[in-house]
This record gives sequence, structure tokens and C-alpha cells, in this order.
Amino acid sequence: MSIEIQGVTKVFGDFKALDQIDLTVPSGELVALLGPSGSGKTTLLRVIAGLESADDGSILFDGEDATTRHVRERGVGFVFQHYALFRHMSVFENVAFGLRVRPRRLRPSREEIRERVMKLLKLVQLEHLGKRYPGQLSGGQRQRVALARALAVEPKVLLLDEPFGALDARVRQELRSWLRRLHDEIHVTSVFVTHDQEEALEVADRVVVMSGGRIEQIGTPEEVFHHPANEFVMHFLGNVNVFHGRVEGGKAVFGDVAVEHGEAGTATRSSEVEPLDDEAKPAKVFIRPHEWDIAVYRNGRPAMEAVVIHVNAAGPVVKVSLLSESGEPVHAELPLEHYRSLELRTGQRVFLSPRKVKVFFD
Amino acid sequence: MVRGKRHRVLPGFGLTCGYTLTYLGLVVLIPLATLFLRTSSLTWAQFWTTVTSERALFAYKLTIGASFLAALVNSVFGLIVAWVLVRYRFPGRAILDALVDLPFALPTAVAGISLCALYAPGGWLGGMLQKAGVQAAYAPLGVVIAMVFVSLPFVVRTVQPVLADLDQEVEEASASLGARRWQTLRRVVFPSVLPSLLTGLALAFGRSLGEFGSIVFISGNMPGRTEIASLLILTRLEEFDYAGATAIAVVMLGMSFGMIFVINVLQTWSRRGAV
Repeated sequence: MSIEIQGVTKVFGDFKALDQIDLTVPSGELVALLGPSGSGKTTLLRVIAGLESADDGSILFDGEDATTRHVRERGVGFVFQHYALFRHMSVFENVAFGLRVRPRRLRPSREEIRERVMKLLKLVQLEHLGKRYPGQLSGGQRQRVALARALAVEPKVLLLDEPFGALDARVRQELRSWLRRLHDEIHVTSVFVTHDQEEALEVADRVVVMSGGRIEQIGTPEEVFHHPANEFVMHFLGNVNVFHGRVEGGKAVFGDVAVEHGEAGTATRSSEVEPLDDEAKPAKVFIRPHEWDIAVYRNGRPAMEAVVIHVNAAGPVVKVSLLSESGEPVHAELPLEHYRSLELRTGQRVFLSPRKVKVFFD
Repeated sequence: MVRGKRHRVLPGFGLTCGYTLTYLGLVVLIPLATLFLRTSSLTWAQFWTTVTSERALFAYKLTIGASFLAALVNSVFGLIVAWVLVRYRFPGRAILDALVDLPFALPTAVAGISLCALYAPGGWLGGMLQKAGVQAAYAPLGVVIAMVFVSLPFVVRTVQPVLADLDQEVEEASASLGARRWQTLRRVVFPSVLPSLLTGLALAFGRSLGEFGSIVFISGNMPGRTEIASLLILTRLEEFDYAGATAIAVVMLGMSFGMIFVINVLQTWSRRGAV
């Protein structure tokens, strides 16, 4: 089922949680709402679910207006960050709940309920734990029970609120790829909320970046990562070095470095890049840590001088902290092999050349 | 390998435990032992006749029956009071909340006098009940009323924190799964509150069993009609029948002990399956 959100606004007191949100989620897609806390992503999810009512605007399910429909009639499955399992019920009863509360004429028979619950428990790989109580399960298991419980009523839309937020890093990683596989299996339209950009980029078909109650950018993980629409998205999706510079004669200039900034014509909400303007315009120059080339000697490429301050070589990617000549901290990342061949030492003077820069005008 | 003595941040187990044992011995165990000692001056046969006399049997029946009724009434209305105090924000809520504790703090004699004045046939409520053909004061109903008054805080204060801790997301989850309001209440909220409600009921029951001060004013203390067990003990004492008084006291002690046991069982049960 597709979801259409049209001009949805939600205000809590003086706080505008959602400001004229327009968003369409095509049927069968897995969409991530990504943003920092307070960006409105959870509120938007709750408005879609009907747990919160919009002050303005409408929600359409498959083109049908569902704005005033009660949560129990929307046919959504909702998975909460802290699971919200029924503690006094066994895992089996938790999953069976949605079927048991149906009016008698719609309620499946005992055997059917049993069969369906067992099938779902198998789907979430918990078929042997049906008799346990939620208190006896680990966090990851509880979240899988919550998911099975939500799926039991065969929702047309699955909504997940920071589903892995309360789990530790390893379990989170596992469940993440598991959720992706599960979605590929059952293809139910899903929206999940996260503040973890890595999670959003890894799991979702499309990412909706939000801040301050508004949508900053909608796109595939690749699009939002490589072609951020504005400074906010650039900052939010991974680390980035920022330099205050200018654009002059089609080149991005910061410090002593002048480089082609490429990617001309990328439309941004806050500004537009105009490469053929000869006049110098102040701009911010963004360079991702992995977009630096580090050289020990000057090699003719435009480069900024910097001194190595700290090296973290634990992992396949080596993180190098540097200080530029003008005293700005610079972060760079390079493959381990490359780092070894360079033989970098703390205190060493090196030359940094950007392979790719992104420019946003002030 | 021998490990060194474990070091704690706050030492003093010997001192505090010694104090605890002495204190509990002095305050609880020795007085109770005296009770049994006094009773033991009776033979078994004498003991049995004393504690199973018609008057005594009636007193137990009234005490237990009224206590149970009071506890039941409070578990219904106490739950509603607790629900309102936890779930809604309205002007005067803090005052209402404080009001619940009043029966704790009020000297029971004060409660007794005011209840008596209110429910006596000449009193404001008593007069209205009289017209409806119901006698409150100087009748078993009066005993129940006094017990309801003194035991109300026990239910409210036991249920309140549990209600406050109830995750509202659980109710939202229930609704999103298609449950109607009463289904959410019956299947999700009520089972979560039930253990604490039972504990509150047991506490209210125990409190009512032991209530004396407020009841003597409103009940009229008629043997075989409105005389509660505690009052019977007092009557026996006034007759200088110490052994008889303690014999009945021993029976009461047994009941109180039974209550504590029940409370503990309920609390263990309420923690099953909990996180």
C-alpha cells in the first residue's frame, strides 16, 4: 500500500514538530526517516500510524483519505523503540494478541491462530521461545517478538520507530541486515525512523533526511550521500571538513588551494552553484575525510600543508588528524596499505590534495 | 590462593546487624512471645472454649467479613482514584493526592468521631440513609464504613506507582493491533495492575483487621452484633481475664501472620515474568 503525506503540520505548544511535510512512499518500498533528535521524524511516523493527529494536512493510504481514521482501523503495524511488549503474556500470546482481540466473526479459529503465530515465530527465528516471557529474552529477541506481533495482523504498512536504537552495536548490525532480508521476503511498505545515518544508508531503498520539522532531501542512499542537497545533509551524512573559502573563475578556493569543484548544477535548496561566474563569491567548501590524497612531498597538485597530530590505525581505514598551516583541524581517512607505504609519523609535514570538493554558497 | 578480606565502601555489617536483631527482638519478638506465654497459662481445653465461644466466633466473623468487604470496596474505588491521580492533570490534583494520605495521618479516634457524627441517625448522611431504610451507625455497616475509611490509602498507594510505571506505548501497541478500548483495559492494563491491586487489597484487609480506634465510636459495640475482635480483647481485659484476652489475641496474631504470608506470596507471584 502506498502512503501519501500532504502538507502535514503538527505543533506541540510553541514547538513546530512538523512543518508542511509532503512525502510519498510507493507501495512495497522500505523508507528511512533520518534526522537528529527533535527533527520531527518520530512525530511524522506517529502521525502516519494515527497515534498522533495532524493539525493540518492529510494522510492518504492507497489514495484513500485516512487522516481521521483511528489507529486500530488503519491497518498499520507499529514497532516501538522499547518494544512495548505485554510483559504478563508469553511470547506466543504477545504475537497472538492482534488476532485474539478481533471481533468474533473475523477471529481465526484457535488452530489457525496457533498456526499463524508459529509461522511468524519461525520467521523471526524464535519458534522455540514461544512459552517464555518478555522479561526472559534479550533485547534483540524482544524486538523480534515485537516485529512478529506487528506482522501478525497482516498490516498493509509497517512502521518502525528507532527499532534498533536500544540494542548494542553487534546485535544492531545483525538485525539491520536481517530486517533488509525480511523486507525483501514479505515486501510490505515500511517506514522506519533512525538517527543513525549508517543504518539508514545500509537498509533503506530511499532515505528522507529531516531537520527542524522539515524534509531536507529525499533520495536513494547513494544520492543523498554523494549528492547532498544542502549543508545540513552534507553534515549529517558522515564526517566532513569545512573550509570558508570562495568560488572564483569556476574554481573552489580555500587557503592556498584552488580546485575544480565539479558537480556543477546540483540543485540545492539553500543555494545554486554557478560555475561560470567569474566574480569571486564567498562559499563553504566541503571535503569528506576519504576524499583527500596525502603526499609526503609536493607533487605539483594544488595542496594544503598540514602537520600530522594523531593517527588511529585500528581498522581497515586509517584515521589521521592533522592541523593545517592556518591552524584549522583537518580529518583525513586512507586505506591501511596506503598509510603503511606513506610511513606517516606524528609531527610530520604533509600535503593534502582534495580529489573532490562540494561547494555551498553562504 | 587465599583472597584478602573483601573491602566494602561502607563497612559495619556486625554493628548494624547486631542492632537490627536487638531492635526487632525488643520491639517485635519479646512482646509477641509474652502473648504466647500469657496464653499458655490456660489449658488446651480452656483455650479452645475461650477462642470458640459464640461471642468470640461472632467477633471474628464480623471482623474478617467487614475487613474483606472494606478491602473489596477499596480495591474498586481505590483503583479508580489511583487511575485518575496518575493519568490526568487537573487543577487541585495535588490536593486530592494529599487527601488520600489523610486516613494515614489522622488519629483514628478523630476519624471515628467524625464518621459517627456523620452517619449517626441524627447526622447528615445517617439521616438520609435512615430515610432509605438503611442503618449505618451502630450497625455492621458502620464497621465497614470505618474500615473503608482507614484502609483506602493502602490500595491507592500500592497501585499508584505501578500505574505510573505503566508504559503508555504498551496501550498504543494494543490499539495499533486492533484492540478496542475495553479490550486494552481488560487484557493489557488490568493484568499489569492486578498483582499490585491484590497486594493493596491484602494490605487494606490487614489494616482493617487491626482497626480499633475509629470503629469503637461508630459501631456501638454490641456483643453478637457489632463487636469486633479487638474490642472483645479489651472487654476481656476490663474483666481482668488476661489469659482470655491473650487467647483471642493469639488468634488475631495468627490471622495477621497469615495475611503477611499471603502478601508475600502475591508479591512473588506479581514478579513472575517481569523484567
